[in-house]
Parts: sequence; C-alpha cells; structure tokens
Amino acid sequence: MQLFGVLIPEKAQLMSTVNDVAKGRAGISLYASLFGLLIGFYAIAAIFIQGHAHTINTSNLVPWGLQISTYIYFALLSTGCTFVNFFGHLFFEKQYKPFASRIIFVGIITALAAFFSLATEMGRIDRMYNFILSPNPKSPMFWMGIWYTCYLIIITWEYINIQTNKHSSRIMWGAFFIAVFTHSTLGSLLGSVSSRVYYYSALMPIYFLFIAFLTGCSLTTIIAAITVKQKKLDENFHLHPFITLLKVGLGLALVISFWRTMIGLSAHLEGSEVFSLTLINSVLFGIVVVIIIPYILLKIGKSANWLLFVGLFIMGTQLKARNDLVVGAFKVPVFRVYDMPEVVHYTPSIYENLVVVASASLVMVLYIVFERSGVFDARNIKEDH
Amino acid sequence: MEQFEGKDILEIMQTDLQRALKKPRKERRWAMAIDLKKCIGCHACTTGCMSENLTPPDIHYRPVKEEEIGEYPNTSMRFLPRPCMQCDSPTCTPVCPVTATYKRDDGLVVIDYNKCIGCRYCIVACPYGARSADSGHYYTGDFHDKTYEVENSGEYGKSFKRKSHWHSPIGNARKCHFCIHRVEKGELTRCTTTCLGGATFFGDINDPEALITKLISKLNVFRYREELGTKPMVYYIT
Repeated sequence: MQLFGVLIPEKAQLMSTVNDVAKGRAGISLYASLFGLLIGFYAIAAIFIQGHAHTINTSNLVPWGLQISTYIYFALLSTGCTFVNFFGHLFFEKQYKPFASRIIFVGIITALAAFFSLATEMGRIDRMYNFILSPNPKSPMFWMGIWYTCYLIIITWEYINIQTNKHSSRIMWGAFFIAVFTHSTLGSLLGSVSSRVYYYSALMPIYFLFIAFLTGCSLTTIIAAITVKQKKLDENFHLHPFITLLKVGLGLALVISFWRTMIGLSAHLEGSEVFSLTLINSVLFGIVVVIIIPYILLKIGKSANWLLFVGLFIMGTQLKARNDLVVGAFKVPVFRVYDMPEVVHYTPSIYENLVVVASASLVMVLYIVFERSGVFDARNIKEDH
Repeated sequence: MEQFEGKDILEIMQTDLQRALKKPRKERRWAMAIDLKKCIGCHACTTGCMSENLTPPDIHYRPVKEEEIGEYPNTSMRFLPRPCMQCDSPTCTPVCPVTATYKRDDGLVVIDYNKCIGCRYCIVACPYGARSADSGHYYTGDFHDKTYEVENSGEYGKSFKRKSHWHSPIGNARKCHFCIHRVEKGELTRCTTTCLGGATFFGDINDPEALITKLISKLNVFRYREELGTKPMVYYIT
C-alpha cells in the first residue's frame, strides 16, 4: 500500500508548504490557523503547567464547562462527516465523489481535535490507562471510550479505502453503524444522569445523532463549497446533495430540539425549573437562530460562497448551542448552601476559549496541509493516468 | 453533655463503635443520623471536618444548609447538615469509567485517589451535590507559606499531600467518607465529636443494640430525596 502521497503528504510537498509559510506565500487561512494553533498550545501548556485552579473557570457548581462542550461539538462534527460520507456514497455517488476523501479525513481529524479538548478537562489525564486496567462496564463513559476507539479505527480504514480506490460498502456501512453507536453512547452519557433533569432523557442519544447530522452537514458543505471553488467544479451539480442534506439536518434538529424543550417544560421534578429558566434561549437561540434562520438562508441562495457563509453560520451557532446544553444542566444547584447563587452563571476563562481555538486550528492546519499537498486528489490523478 | 437514657451519647456511640469493629467488615453497615431539632447551625461539624480532612477553600464535605420550610405565614427555619449520604444504591459509582469510586462491603462509598482520572462524571451524577472537584486551590494562594495546606490529611488511612496539581487528591473528586480513617482506628467521625448540640449520631445499623439503630427506628425520621431511590444512609430526625 502506498503511504506517502496517497494517505499522507509526501516529504517534498510538505517541505514546499513549509517554504511557502516561511516566504509568506502560504495564504491567510494557513497563517491564521497556525497562529490559532500557537496560542492554543500556549493555553494548553498553561493548563497543564499551572493547573486547573489558575486557568479554568469550572467549579463544583459547574463541573463541566467549555472544554467538554468543545469535545462534544467536535465529536458530533466527526460523526456528521461519517453520516454525510455514508449518505453521499449511497444516494449521490457522482456528485459526492470529489469530496469523499476530504470529508472522511475531516471526520478523523475532528475526532482527534475532540480528544485534544477533552484531555485538557481531565483532572488526571496521566491516569487514562485505568480505562484498560480498571474498567467499569456499567459506565457510559467507559463504553464511549471503547466505541470511540472502534470508530477511529473504522473511519481511518474508510479513508484508506477511499484513497486507495478500494472503497468497500461493508466498511462504509460498518462506519455508519459504529458512528451511530458511538455517538448515541455519548448522548447516553448525559441522558442517563438522573440527578440532572436537563440531561435526563431517553431523547438525548437521538438528539446527539440528529445534531451530529446537522453539524456534519454544515462542515461538509463548507468543505464542498471550498473544493468546488478551488477545482472550478459545477456548483449546481456538486453542491445540490449538500443543500438537500442540510435541509434534512435542519428538519431533524427542529423536531428533536422542539420536543426536548416541550417535554422538559412539562416535567414537575426537582430541578426541572431549568427548562423554564432557559426557555427564551432555547426558543430564540436554540430554534430560531440555530434552525429557522439557516433554513431561510438556504432558501435565499445556493452559490458556493453563500453556502460557505451558511455553513459557517450553522457551525458558529452550534458551538454556542453545545455549550448551552452542557452548562444548562448546572444552572440550578442540586444542593444550595452558603452563598451559592440561585441561578449559576458560568463564563469560560481565556484559556478555555483558547482550547476551542486550538482544536479548530488543529483541524484547519491538518486539512490545509493535506489539501496543499494534493493528497485528496491523488486518486483522481492516478485514475487519469 | 447530651444524654440518652441517662448516659452520655458520645460514650454510648464509642461503645457501639468498639462492638461494631469486632465484627467482620461485611457485617457492618455504617450510617449517620442527624437530629434536626438539636442542630443549632453552629457549623462546628463543617469546620471540624475541614480541619480533619484538610479540605481546600472550595470543598466542604459537610456543609450546613439553612432552609425555610412551609409557606408564609406558617414558616420556620431549620438547619440541614449534608454529609455524603453513602447511598445503598449510589448514582455516582456506576458512572465512574475506571471504578475509582465504589461501594465497600460495609456500605461506604469511597474514592480511590490513585485511580481517579478527574473526569467529574460522579460530581455531575450525585443528586445531593456531595462531591467536589479538587482543582488545586489553597487558602494561602500561591505565593505564601502553604506548609499546613500540603500536610497529609490521612484520608482513607493513606498519605496524600497536596503539593502540586500533579499530587492527589488535586485533580480528583472528593467527598465525605464518614472519617473512615478515624472509624477504623476506633474513633468516632469528626463531625459527631464536634457537634455542639449533640445532634449527630454515628454507628452500625446492623447492630440492633446500637444507639443509631434505636433512633432511626422511630417514626419521625426521613431520608433526603428518598424518592430518587438512592437509599441514603443518612437519616434526619425531625
């Protein structure tokens, strides 16, 4: 199996990119993402060197903050890429083909970026080996670890198959089902927490899958729009599947967000007042801004540039929506004592924000370097010959 | 001194404890009872616990809640101390991905500081807010003498010094463990001994002769958020 130039960039191509960076010819997006990676690494180093007490604003009242939200966000992006890869191959083979390797590659690197963020949240990341030495099969988090490993293996396999022109339907179907299991397990991690009414719901695993589909559609639309512009492909022909999938994603997100809010509002359990507290945000932001406005935007235009904007809009709003979901559960303390506020507010620290920048920049840098090195088009070149 | 049937309650509980310790561990069932009529909200248990376990500024194993009960005009105030409930069906142990927190055969829910990865899932899962994350805060900050704060707390009968954020229990989840390091040496929990009103009772509820067993067998006893099905081992007497 040919590794360099097909699966990863060739040394000469990498050196050329490095030279371009040194000579100021690398383009604004690569410089911006390298800068983001640099300041992100600074923040991550600070978190590990100085410790959580001095860098992170989570507390006993808000034990999970922006880093967990970012982890979930990138994990869902990765799942979404796998879903789009599946539906793309299944229903839009010709239109989807130029983007297949790019999208599954982004699926891999967003999963890695998710871990990147998660690592900074753990109190003792150096003890992760206990997942193997001392596993707890009752824990959704344990199963998430198992499924995640399987997921990474199979989407890497799918990437290899696509790049080596040996695409296998079995692996594609396997990747799809493992993605469903992995990310519904991630949903169950929150959905099974009976002490937090905001999370506790059988809807949560399905919610995660539907939102994954939407965010994945938005990211893949961005990739498709950029590729169409770069390769001067037929916009109408190649972008049509992404518009269709985005509309389906928005519809699914609307259904699940609406019912999650409505069912939450009807609860009369201790702590269920959190649904009333967050109702305005859930409706105005969680439904109108995150779902309705993107749908209207999709109706307005269908050009590559416009779809790029719509994709970025959905991705930006989804990051806030993930943070609202994770942090929302902690708005009402389960046991209020001393000077604890009645409604808990959480503002991420600069270091936590920079972890988001680091994760996003990691994805961007890897994608741009692979794209510039011609890895994604290696298959097409071989076919031409 | 608070008395029960003419005897000092601390002496009775001490005798009960010695009797319990003679039994095999799996035959014991540690529990706590708190008489809310006797609790005066002095927070002696909270501060006693803090000095016993050398807890950092943001961690209280046993806070005391001041709550208003009833509806106006028929309202009254009460103090509700909240240790870890040492639930018989805990929600925190099944979620731990690495079995760092588990229920011992004497019913105590404990944390293995050497195993905990600091994911905080147990903190999210506890319906009583009884768990905390030790992020590494010190009362004296970074640039002062922290000698006292890095002392060995002796929790779980082991040596843990909070020297830096790479030293447990910093980075771990922490919670009340019924002062098991004291109990196994034949001493009552610190909150029991420091309680000014004699409101806190501790002992083995598998022992029908123990003071705590007699107290919780009365009608005026409730367990906090019992409807959750967690079967707490802390009983409140009203």
